[in-house]
Amino acid sequence: MECRETQTLLTAFHDGELPAAERARVEEHLRGCRECAARLADLGRIDRAAGVPDPGPAYWDRFNARVMERVEREADGPKTAVLRPKHGWMRQQLRYLLPAAAAAALVVVIVRLGGMDPGGPAPIVPPSVSGPAASALPAKKADNREVAPSVPPPVLTREESTAITRKERDRPAGGSPPARVEEPSRDRAAAPSAMVVPSQQPLMKYRQAPVEAPPSPAVEGMPSGMRAERKRMSEEAALMADRQGAGNAKSAQRRPASPCELARTLADRERFHEAEAAQRACLVEDLPAPHREKNLVFLAELLDRQGNVSEADAVIEEIRRQFPESLQLDLYLRRRPIVQERQK
Amino acid sequence: MRADLDGEQDERLAALAAGGDRDAFDALVTRHRQAVYRLCWSAAGNAADADDAAQETFVRMYRSLPSYDPARPFGPWLRKIAWNCGLTARRDRNAGVPGVAGGEAPEAVDPAPDPEEAASDKEESHRVAEAMAGLPAELRMVMVLRAVEGLSYAEIALAAGIPAGTVMSRLSRARTRLLAALGTRTGGGS
Repeated sequence: MECRETQTLLTAFHDGELPAAERARVEEHLRGCRECAARLADLGRIDRAAGVPDPGPAYWDRFNARVMERVEREADGPKTAVLRPKHGWMRQQLRYLLPAAAAAALVVVIVRLGGMDPGGPAPIVPPSVSGPAASALPAKKADNREVAPSVPPPVLTREESTAITRKERDRPAGGSPPARVEEPSRDRAAAPSAMVVPSQQPLMKYRQAPVEAPPSPAVEGMPSGMRAERKRMSEEAALMADRQGAGNAKSAQRRPASPCELARTLADRERFHEAEAAQRACLVEDLPAPHREKNLVFLAELLDRQGNVSEADAVIEEIRRQFPESLQLDLYLRRRPIVQERQK
Repeated sequence: MRADLDGEQDERLAALAAGGDRDAFDALVTRHRQAVYRLCWSAAGNAADADDAAQETFVRMYRSLPSYDPARPFGPWLRKIAWNCGLTARRDRNAGVPGVAGGEAPEAVDPAPDPEEAASDKEESHRVAEAMAGLPAELRMVMVLRAVEGLSYAEIALAAGIPAGTVMSRLSRARTRLLAALGTRTGGGS
């Protein structure tokens, strides 16, 4: 090996990134060439001197507090509030959670008893409930809204009582009447929105953020068995989202999670066997190469987490075959001993 | 920091922080703040902008946690944010936009106990620091990620979004320029 060739490899040699065979050749050259050996020493000097000046302990002492200050300043808007405050966060959470829970319970009651589904058939309201639903709730709110108490409650039909219930619910806290009374599409969200929104975000699970939602996969051309599997997964995803609470149920009804999302949700709950099934359903889809690579790696991890090493190895072999230079796989292989250790 | 968070992986901490756990967020900041600062410094080229960018990095991290996918490694994800914040801080500085981190310009602290003894090293470090600041940002980035953070080529490639081969060539160019700035030998022998 000559100096010119050696020096093209010297950076990788210095960084420990050369394959063994080339490394041996460079070492052999370095033993007989002072110039290249000196150059290698220079690389070490440069790296040692390349350090960034440290701002010192006083700076680091205040760093986190300054970050939190900025985060909280940015989180003044309720929709971005994610972190629980350090002092008395439980109390602050309860301040939001209790009304939110009450609102959610109210929504459930109304949905079940009041016929909230604008497209569905009118529900049968039991007499014992229709009375309070039509009169007690508005009467209670009338205290705050300065409706003359001497006016006797009108006799209402079921439809009218439902409409009034909606009106009362849609009315802002300040007491002014809503601009629009009948707007079926807002119905489910309208009641809790004022109270729930601040608490929704702290409770929101990152995987259900709609921003990063993968596109809805095409199902045409998919074998019927796979379609059935996808449907089952979607239904389970909707069910799981429903359990998260009223706010998330709304989004789940709009957009059921894909199998890929579901797999990660299940894995997060350590339901690895089900996650594996969802992940396999995810991989049936026609994914772009980077997504396929990532999801194959995730499947290998799920298998490892169940102690199914041989199948995980097979998946890893498949990843190597499809993506010979997979960085995702390299990174996972570094973590793999930890994953397998946890499984034991 | 809560003791139970000590051994947690970044991805798990990120999931907890996304769920509103302040201690987990704090732990992530503590764990990554120095690496983030160094990367921001390498992108911005000076301490004041590095400070601004490092703060901004964690604010953006906080904002992005709900959409962070824990299947992706956390470190490269955060480094990408840091690098972008560093570049933005530098652009803003060049465009005359004031920083928002509170105007802190941290002083460098020299850990060497005896300045006389370390004078030579200091001089060399100073010259390298100047040369580093003069490098194109993409060369400075790979240099910091490798020489300061100790990342592998694969990890740098992931963080910078470039092929591993490009990492090597950029490192080689960066070191050649730094060596030239130090006035040391850069040529070959036989």
